[in-house]
Amino acid sequence: MTAPGDPASERDGAAEFASEWAAQVFGLTLVPMTWREMVDFLHGLTVRLAAMLLAPGLEAAAAAQVGVDLVAAKLIAPEALARTVTVLGGQLLPALGLAGDDTASARLEQIIETLSVAHCRVVRDLAMDEQEIVLRSAMRARREAEDRLRAEQARARHAALHDPLTGLPNRGMFADHLDRVFAGGGTGRAAVCLLDLDNFRPINDSLGPAVGDRLLVELARRLGALAAERGWFLSRVDGQEFAVLLEQTGCPEDAAKVADKVLSAVGEPFHVDGQELTVRASIGIFESPIAVSTGTEALRSARTALHWAQHDGGGRWMLFDRERSAAQVRRYRIGAAMPGALARGEFRLEYQPLVHLATGRIAGHEALARWTDPELGTVPPDTFIPLAEDTGLIVALGKRLLTQACIETADRPHRTRQPPFVSVNLAAQQIRQPGIVADIAAVLDSSGLPPDRLQLEITESVAVDESPHATRSLQALVALGVRLAIDDFGTGHANHAYLHRLPVHGLKLDASFIRALNPPGTGSKVEAILANLISLGHTLGLTVTAEGVESPAQVDLLRTLGCDLGQGWALG
Amino acid sequence: MEPGWVPESVDVDRPSLARIYDYMLGGFHNFAVDRELARAAIAAMPDAAVQAQANRAFLHRAVRFLVDRGVRQFLDLGSGIPTLGNVHEIAQGIEPQSRVVYVDIDPVAVSHSQQILAGNERAITIHADMRQPERIFADEQVRRVLDLDEPFAVLAVAVLHAISDADNPHRSIAAYREAQVAGSYLVVAHGAEGVRDEESKRLLEIAARTTTPLTRRTPEDIARFFDGYELVPPGLVWASLWHPDAPSQVPDRGEDSGNLVGVGRKL
Repeated sequence: MTAPGDPASERDGAAEFASEWAAQVFGLTLVPMTWREMVDFLHGLTVRLAAMLLAPGLEAAAAAQVGVDLVAAKLIAPEALARTVTVLGGQLLPALGLAGDDTASARLEQIIETLSVAHCRVVRDLAMDEQEIVLRSAMRARREAEDRLRAEQARARHAALHDPLTGLPNRGMFADHLDRVFAGGGTGRAAVCLLDLDNFRPINDSLGPAVGDRLLVELARRLGALAAERGWFLSRVDGQEFAVLLEQTGCPEDAAKVADKVLSAVGEPFHVDGQELTVRASIGIFESPIAVSTGTEALRSARTALHWAQHDGGGRWMLFDRERSAAQVRRYRIGAAMPGALARGEFRLEYQPLVHLATGRIAGHEALARWTDPELGTVPPDTFIPLAEDTGLIVALGKRLLTQACIETADRPHRTRQPPFVSVNLAAQQIRQPGIVADIAAVLDSSGLPPDRLQLEITESVAVDESPHATRSLQALVALGVRLAIDDFGTGHANHAYLHRLPVHGLKLDASFIRALNPPGTGSKVEAILANLISLGHTLGLTVTAEGVESPAQVDLLRTLGCDLGQGWALG
Repeated sequence: MEPGWVPESVDVDRPSLARIYDYMLGGFHNFAVDRELARAAIAAMPDAAVQAQANRAFLHRAVRFLVDRGVRQFLDLGSGIPTLGNVHEIAQGIEPQSRVVYVDIDPVAVSHSQQILAGNERAITIHADMRQPERIFADEQVRRVLDLDEPFAVLAVAVLHAISDADNPHRSIAAYREAQVAGSYLVVAHGAEGVRDEESKRLLEIAARTTTPLTRRTPEDIARFFDGYELVPPGLVWASLWHPDAPSQVPDRGEDSGNLVGVGRKL
């Protein structure tokens, strides 16, 4: 035991006390402090406490500060304060050699009370501060999460509505906007211009998709500048398709002017990757009062008009036209209805007599196809035959009609020595069929019609086909005994070399010559041409038939010109 | 953050493991829901707070140990509320050039952390899921702070037992190891099976009611986190027994700390 008041022993006592204090509270702090640092820290406090014990009067602030410093060292647990109070009360005075010193003992009680109050107060403040901090952190975190969510939603919305390559509104956004405009009602008008690049594919294929993409970006920029300047709503609706929505147009011409502007903007050469690229575009325009149309119809109609523009060679705009579209729709429906009609046997034949102009005797009949559809009504052959040729249905249809004509002709009673023949059209695609000769031979065989009572009409375009197969087939048919006539003669082809190559029996002069005879007998140029054609036929030993004979005067004139046969209303 | 990734909403009405841990450590950065659950946990295991403090104290000692060994980079997974003795305070206190990346999934903890670290260029906090190491290493901020060509320590203190077997924490740790150069470290503290099982069972039942259920693992499973690492002495031990700093820290029974800890050096 050292004597009281000895500075050296006080220091030693303080150090020992600090170690004991640290042992009581070390596990209760979570500051990053080592054992040594903790002992040093508490030693500092002990020295300050010792000074307070020996001072003439207590400085309350200094005692309170010890409590504050304990909290600053994160000795904030209730246990830390409790053990501090215990160790101070029980061991500080003996450690400092002040055991039994009543003054010091009273002073210590004051110190402990003051630092305990300060400790509690500061911990309470700390608790409230930290509560505020964590609440603010929570609010900030929530706000940040909401901001991110909003940003993400905005990004997703933008991505859903815009084309990633050009940044323009995409098809979905355009369609929405279009729907809104046309659903708006009122008396206004609006237009859609739908643009497609005519020659994008070859550029993309030859220079690569990267160049193609840059070209599209450049195009979008160019059109975008125009659109921004003039208040158009521009969209990239598909690969190389761009659409412009014009609101408050006055008439179709307003849209046409825009289309002109766009076409000339597109027509300026593009410079991509150091290459100069020239592109061409087509535009389909739909312009209408908004009250009578819908967004869907507007875009579809603009597309139809775009196809017309492309079909007409591209590099132009085309305005949608309801009548043309209706006709196209009807053609489409006819084309779609034909296979069913053929299967159900709805095609019939009408027979138009071919009359000897000299005697009035009937030489034969041309079998003409007729079709009345329950829904579409009567469809004229000049509508459905080209459609059948387009779709390839002509092969089956032609075969069916030929069979029908042969059977009906064979079955029809006749009393003359020279029974009338039947004349049937043979389409180019039929002749190209590999088994055509065998097919026709089989039809003749099964129907019982003698081959010389069948005349096949081919057009000049078929006749000039010099392919070995076509030529051989026609020769084989003639060898069977079938007659061969050139239909629509004089209109199709100037070179008549085929006439000596093919075993032709007759020529049918095109109805346009006969129609042009009105008024007949005026010594017109047409008359001279007809005379020549008839003379040519006769020189070659061919029977010449005039089609489309509509008046007795025409009959008379053709007879005078020496035409052999006539066909048309005037002849029954 | 990569586009398209939206964090779950911040819900302060649900208890958060980070804030419960803060309460256990004596902090006030927590809400009533957190304290309610923490009290239930303490009722189930009366020294739960002491265990949490033992883990925290181990973290402090481990960081100091690693800085002494020359480690200057730390990746602290599941760093929680940054109040009491943060890794950067210890590391930068000894070696100011030390760099620390904190990772937590709790947006409140992250937001708080970011406020505290504002202006500290060598310590950042990112909001991420430690189960997605590739995402963390791809983060631009992380790449700015951590130099992956130099050794760094991965700190997984009292966090792996918050990851279920279904999420395969061993695979995640293996991915962190793959990203480390030789001479890097792994620090683990993990609730262990086999001691105080009755109390542990009750604690786990309480945790199962939260969004972060806990999983205790066998010492063997915990040791497997150190595959590819060499454990530094004393190896895998109870938290209070790893390089104790003062005699008073060592309890009579080491297993009372409930958590096995270890520091491994990548081979």
